[in-house]
Amino acid sequence: MTTKTKQRINRILLWVLIIFMAIWMLFPFYWAINSSFKSEGMLAMTPTTFVPRDPVTRDISFFLRNYQAVFTNQAFLRAIVNSVIVATSVTLLSLAVGSFAGFALGKLRYRGKTATLYVILAMTMFPAIAVLTGLYAIITNLGIPPIASMIITYMLFTLPFTAWVLTAFFRELPTEIFQSAQVDGASPFQTFYMIMLPLTAPAMVTTGLLAFIGAWNEYLFALTFTSIAPDARTLPVIIANFPSQFSMQIPFGEIMAAGIVSSIPLIALVFIFQRRIVAGLTAGAVKG
Amino acid sequence: MAKEGSSDLAKREQRLAYWLLAPTFLILLVIAIYPLFSVFYNSFTNSVFASTAPTEFVGLQNYRGLLSMTIRQVPPRLDESGQPIVDPATGAVQYESAVTVLPREPVRFRPVTQFSLFGTQFVLGATDPNFIRAVWDTIVFAVATVFLELVLGMIVALIVNANFKGRGLMRAIILIPWAIPTAVSSQMWAYMLQPNRTGFFNTVFWYLGLGNGEIPFLSDPAWQLPSMIMIDVWKTTPFMALLLLAGLQLIPADIYEAADVDGAGPVRSFFQLTLPLLKGTIAVALVFRTLDALRVFDLFQIVLGQARYSMASFTYYQLIQNRAMGYSSASSVIIFVVLSVFAVAYMRSLGVKSDDH
Repeated sequence: MTTKTKQRINRILLWVLIIFMAIWMLFPFYWAINSSFKSEGMLAMTPTTFVPRDPVTRDISFFLRNYQAVFTNQAFLRAIVNSVIVATSVTLLSLAVGSFAGFALGKLRYRGKTATLYVILAMTMFPAIAVLTGLYAIITNLGIPPIASMIITYMLFTLPFTAWVLTAFFRELPTEIFQSAQVDGASPFQTFYMIMLPLTAPAMVTTGLLAFIGAWNEYLFALTFTSIAPDARTLPVIIANFPSQFSMQIPFGEIMAAGIVSSIPLIALVFIFQRRIVAGLTAGAVKG
Repeated sequence: MAKEGSSDLAKREQRLAYWLLAPTFLILLVIAIYPLFSVFYNSFTNSVFASTAPTEFVGLQNYRGLLSMTIRQVPPRLDESGQPIVDPATGAVQYESAVTVLPREPVRFRPVTQFSLFGTQFVLGATDPNFIRAVWDTIVFAVATVFLELVLGMIVALIVNANFKGRGLMRAIILIPWAIPTAVSSQMWAYMLQPNRTGFFNTVFWYLGLGNGEIPFLSDPAWQLPSMIMIDVWKTTPFMALLLLAGLQLIPADIYEAADVDGAGPVRSFFQLTLPLLKGTIAVALVFRTLDALRVFDLFQIVLGQARYSMASFTYYQLIQNRAMGYSSASSVIIFVVLSVFAVAYMRSLGVKSDDH
């Protein structure tokens, strides 16, 4: 076999693998989209069809009522608003508080630094389920409203992560910038606020994105803290237990439509910020 | 930083550091450390959520209730002549009901599982078989998913590390399963796994002549865990792949060029070069993912509900449906202890760099 044919075979093998991988990753979405365009009658067809087909004529036909139902479903619409409020607030708060900590951990010298780094790293792995009962007791005892309690408690996983990743980014900024600003008479806080913070803007976008995705997808706290407050439910809670206005059975068509709608913002973020997300994910898990 | 007698500057810097760290530590104190201590305290009480009954200190009773186990021998069923009854069709020995051999006083043990060893039948009994089963299922789930994700994630990472047109698009595509809410992906897969031919899998298996088109993937205990594992592997392999990809990109390309000159094929250079060089990355990824898999909640809660628990969904059930605050706190503490072991292993494999050199 010549090197050339060998290379060609390798190329073909690679593409076969690529195509397999793409189908594996995307097929469940295709199936959800397919099902979201089916009426209850079409969903009940056996065997199921790979494109939406009319049960009688077997022609391809798209049923749009699921999307209509989803966009007129008050609970779903409120969930979108709730999710936007919660995820945005958590992201902004974590960035604000986390960038302070990240700067101190990454650039300042103080006693007890190693210990604080270990605490932050340990907190990035803190299991939410371990404090669920404790948090629930505090929230009900103090009467904190559900939206506010989600914003506060989501910091449990967004804040340590944000601080940890920003620490890595701050550490990589050249110390000379910091020193020369101090020589010019800037106080350390001015240096942080006027010089270092703008330099970390890309890192802020990265960590902000990850915090937003994490908060948008969170289910355990949302489910627990809104168990007696249906108006405060976020998208994952609504989708996991979809309240249909029309269907008596589990309304899979509507659930698929709602799932597609609530995934679209995330898919858009992934396509726009692919590089940043990858950088942030691996920085959070791998960089020390 | 400047050393020229500027201890004043150093002091200012230190003070600023403490001020900047204060908000983070204050928040974590309120939402993590304090609740953790209250959970620990509650785990020794019989506290019931939203009840007026006085809370009493019960010592280790919750832990005993969760963890008590016993193994008893199950005697074979005997006929009138004292001979074991054997099923004529299968030749299998018939055993007494397991419940009869398990202790009932002072607390009742229920069977978790039966197994036979050296021809003797045993039963494992527990005071809370649901919890023991949840722990076992969660461990099986974690080991299986992490192993499969490592193998498949490695293949995916090698693919998206290769040079081809549309590599950027491919890297975005593999991010999608990771990015979408688990609530959405759980529902998507639950619908694909419907127990009749309205579901994708039953239809495909039926077309292929496997099964009768009515495999109960989510209600048959034998299929439940494999289904959960399949869904999680789909959702989390991309994340594993990205961690491994980050490691792959750190390997200098000239190592491979040298290996190529020596005539090493791609398979050999993978096992002799790539894998050893990736050892650190793999270790970190393994521990990180195991930690994640052990606290699985969304998937089990949404797809299986109360049909089968993970450790986390068991705790949630005890708190919200049963209002058993003390009991669920004890289960939280057990999860916390198990996870801490892995967390320490993770931090050790990662290490912390505390200064800027």
